Amino acid sequence: MRQLLGGMLGENQVVTVVDMEAGLEHLSRGTDRHVDTLLVVMEPYYKALETARRCAELGRELGIARVFGVANKLRGPEDTAAVRTYAAAHGLRLVGEVPFDEGVSQAERVGQAPSAAPETPAARAIGDLATTLHAEGALP
Amino acid sequence: MNKIAIAGKGGSGKTTISGILARVLARGGRPVWAIDADTSPNLALTLGVPRDRLGELRSMPRSILQEQTDEAGKRRMVLGMPPAEVAASYGIPTPDGPTLLLMGTVDHAGAG
Repeated sequence: MRQLLGGMLGENQVVTVVDMEAGLEHLSRGTDRHVDTLLVVMEPYYKALETARRCAELGRELGIARVFGVANKLRGPEDTAAVRTYAAAHGLRLVGEVPFDEGVSQAERVGQAPSAAPETPAARAIGDLATTLHAEGALP
Repeated sequence: MNKIAIAGKGGSGKTTISGILARVLARGGRPVWAIDADTSPNLALTLGVPRDRLGELRSMPRSILQEQTDEAGKRRMVLGMPPAEVAASYGIPTPDGPTLLLMGTVDHAGAG
């Protein structure tokens, strides 16, 4: 799969968004080396934050140009503060803060696509994420 | 400056963020390939592929890779055709515009 992904990432005329396997193995195998931005998802609990930190470290070791954090499933100010504090403590730049979205959970429960309508909380935050990625030079 | 990977712990919402980001970017007018590199793929659902069609979806075949020997005599596997041709042949169109490419189960299919 590493060679296949590397080959497909040779195309520069499109934006590629790669949903990697959960955990760290793809990074230790070098599967991600051909991307230029790595987003590590940070859910506000310790084990998820630790995995995100390790992903970020491995991504930097691979030489990925931009390694950013994206907070997800934030249920309130305490969650937001927890992720911000952790990211700051580990030198990880947060480029997105996605709130917990009941619509997304509901869609997952019944096996449907979540709404990506701009007015839903998750999609609005991910729209902001895209704007930030553009400003950071991660998107054309 | 247009190749983004999304990583994290299982259950953290990686696939949701990947899928919605791909849809938002495609709706903004960008051509987008959404690549599912997870061995238990479910990006298709997040991109809005109907549930009853999920069973038809196939991973990209390993056979599109060809062995190539470089000047140093080192052998490596490369795509046997341009990536855009691969996407046109094996990509799956999704409702908001991203082309879905499934490759998470490739390692388990075929030799090598």
